[in-house]
Amino acid sequence: MRTRRVALFLVATIAAIVLPAAAHHSFSAEYDSAKPLKMSGKVTEMRWANPHAWIYIDVVGKDGKAVNWAWETGGANALYRRGWRKEDLVAGTMIVIDGFQARNGSRTANATSITFPDGRKLFAGSSSQNPATK
Amino acid sequence: MRSSSRTILVYGLMLACVTVCCSRQAAIPRTADGRPDLQGIWQVRNRASYNLEDHVARHGMPAGTGVVQGGPIPYQEWAAKRKIENAANRQNDPLANCYLPGVPRIMYMEFPFQIFQTPDHIAMTFEWSQVHRTVYTNGVPAPEGIDFWMGDSRGRWEGDTLVVEVSDHNDRTWFDMAGNFHSEELTLVERYTMVNADTIQYEVTITDPKVFTRPWTIAMMLHRSEAARIFEYQCQAEAEEANGAFEPDPKTWYPGPGAPVTIPAEWKGDTGESAWKPPARKGAIRRMPDGKPDLQGYYMPDGGGGNYGLGKHEQDFLTPGGRGIIVDPPDGILPMQAWAKLEAEDRKTPERGYDDPTAHCFVAGVPRSMYVPSPLQILQPPGHLVILHERMSWRTIPLDGRPHLPDHIRLWQGDSIGRWEGDTLVVDTANLNGKTWLNEVGEIVSHAERVVERFTPIDADTIHYEATVTDPLVYTRPWTIALPLNRQKDELLEVACHEDNQDLAHLKDIRDAARAKRRK
Repeated sequence: MRTRRVALFLVATIAAIVLPAAAHHSFSAEYDSAKPLKMSGKVTEMRWANPHAWIYIDVVGKDGKAVNWAWETGGANALYRRGWRKEDLVAGTMIVIDGFQARNGSRTANATSITFPDGRKLFAGSSSQNPATK
Repeated sequence: MRSSSRTILVYGLMLACVTVCCSRQAAIPRTADGRPDLQGIWQVRNRASYNLEDHVARHGMPAGTGVVQGGPIPYQEWAAKRKIENAANRQNDPLANCYLPGVPRIMYMEFPFQIFQTPDHIAMTFEWSQVHRTVYTNGVPAPEGIDFWMGDSRGRWEGDTLVVEVSDHNDRTWFDMAGNFHSEELTLVERYTMVNADTIQYEVTITDPKVFTRPWTIAMMLHRSEAARIFEYQCQAEAEEANGAFEPDPKTWYPGPGAPVTIPAEWKGDTGESAWKPPARKGAIRRMPDGKPDLQGYYMPDGGGGNYGLGKHEQDFLTPGGRGIIVDPPDGILPMQAWAKLEAEDRKTPERGYDDPTAHCFVAGVPRSMYVPSPLQILQPPGHLVILHERMSWRTIPLDGRPHLPDHIRLWQGDSIGRWEGDTLVVDTANLNGKTWLNEVGEIVSHAERVVERFTPIDADTIHYEATVTDPLVYTRPWTIALPLNRQKDELLEVACHEDNQDLAHLKDIRDAARAKRRK
C-alpha cells in the first residue's frame, strides 16, 4: 500500500502539469485574494465528489480547541485520473495545506497545495494554472 | 382422410416457417455488421417509475401494474423497513431533487431517450437532464475503485440479445418514486431483445446481497417513438427558474429584446459561403468505411483558457490565464457592442459569479461545451454525429439535411444540424435560448446566437475545431475561435455536478451580501 502511494504521488506530480482541472464556477468570485491561508491539521474526512472533492481537517487553535475547515480541491475525476483512489487520503493523516479563504467568511478555503509530513507536495488541482505546478 | 390431414400439416409447417422467417428477417432492422439495430427514440408506456410493483393511485402518482417478475421484491427484513420509510418520505426521492436517476430507473422514466449504435459503443441520450449512458461493447473491462450514479455499463451480444452488465453503482439512487432502493453492492444484467421493428423487450436482473434475499427481475417493453428528435428537460434548471434561485436575464434570454432577430446584410463569413479555407493537414487521417473522416474517439479539448476569457489574458488571482483562441477578428478581441462590454464587466464581479449557469451545474451551451476543461467522446453512428460530454450533457447532430426546429423552440444546447464539406464536418446550431454564458468571466451570447462549427481532422489524433458565432444583439460582427481537440486513450467518467455542488451556496452568500449592502 505504501509503495503504491509513493508511486501515486509521482504520477500526480507529472500529471498535474498536463491535466487541467475542471472548475465549473469562478474560484476568483468565491475566494478572497486578500485572505491567503496556511494551516496544518489532521484529516477528518475526504469527500470524494464532483465537480470538486473536499478535504476536511481539524485545526487546533491557540485555545487548544479543534476547529474543522473545509478545503476545496480538484474534482474526483481529475484525482482518479491522477491515480488517486478514495481510500488514499485516510482520516488521521496530518497535512499542511495552503490556499485562500472563501469571501463569505465561512471556514471554507480553496487548496493551492497540500504538503505531507515528509515534505512531499501534492498539487490540489483547484486552479488550472496554479503557481505550485509551474 | 389421411391425405387431407397431411395437406393441413404441410400447409401448417409452411405457415409456421413463413411466420418465423418473417419475424426474424423482415421485422427486425439490422446494422451493417448484422446486429439488431436498436437505434431510434424509445419510451416506456408504463408506470414503473412511480412504483415497480402493482400500485393504486396516490397524490402525484398514477396507478400502475407492476413489472417485477414472480412475486414481491425480495427485501431483507431491515431493508423492507427502510423501503417503507422511503415511501413515507418522498421528498427524499433523489429525483425530487433532480439528482441523476441511476440505472435502471432512467430507462423507464416517462421521458424519451435515443439509442445510437456503433460496433464499439452503444450510446443512450436521455431527454431528462441531458443524461447519457455509454455501453462499451469493445471488450474493455469496467474501471475499478470508482463509483457512479449511473453505474458503468459493459455490453456483449448473445445471439440477437444485447446483454449489458452494469456495475460500479453508488448507493444514492432509488428504483422508483415508491422508495424501492439498493446499496452500492448493486449489480445489474440488462437484456435488450427486439421483438419487432418498433418494440424492444427490456429485462433487468437485479442483484444486491446487502439488500435483497435473492436476485429478482423486472421486464417491460420499450416502444419506438414517432418523434423526430428529443428535446431537453433540464430538471434542476427548471426547478431553479420556478423557485427564483436562477433569475432570468431579459437582456439575453429568449424572447428578450429584438426577437425576431435579423442578421445585418453586411455581416459575412457566418454560414460557410465565404472564403473559409481548411487547415493544413499534418498527417494521415482515419476514415470510415464510407470514406468520410472518422472523428470517433475520446478527446480532451485544448481550450486555451477560453473558459476564463476567449481573448489572450494573464492569470488573475484564481482565474487562469489564456493564450487567446479568437482567430477572427484578427486583433483577437471579442467585438462586443457597448452595452455588452459594460454587462461583461459587471458579470466579472464576484457577486455575479453566482449567475454563471455552469456554477449551478447547468449545461454549458454552444460553443462553450467544446472548450470547458472537460473531456468528450465523439461517436459516428449512421446519419449522426454524437458528442457526449463528461460534464453530463450531450449533442446529437443529424447529418440528413433536415431543417432546424421552429424558431420558437429554444434549447440550452440548441438544435444542431451537420453536413460534410470535403473532410470538414460543418455543424450549424440555431434555436439557442440565450441562457448560457461563454465562460466564467461573463462573456456574452444571447438568444440571437447562431453558431457554425467546423470539425476538421488534421492527423489521426487531432481535430482542428473552429466555431463562428453570429449574434447581432451582442456583437458588431461575427467572430471565430479555433482550438485543437486532442485524442487520448481514456474513457469518459461521470461528472455528477449539482448533486454535490457546495460552491453555489457560497456564491449565493456573496451575491446576497452585495445586494444587501447596495440596499443600505
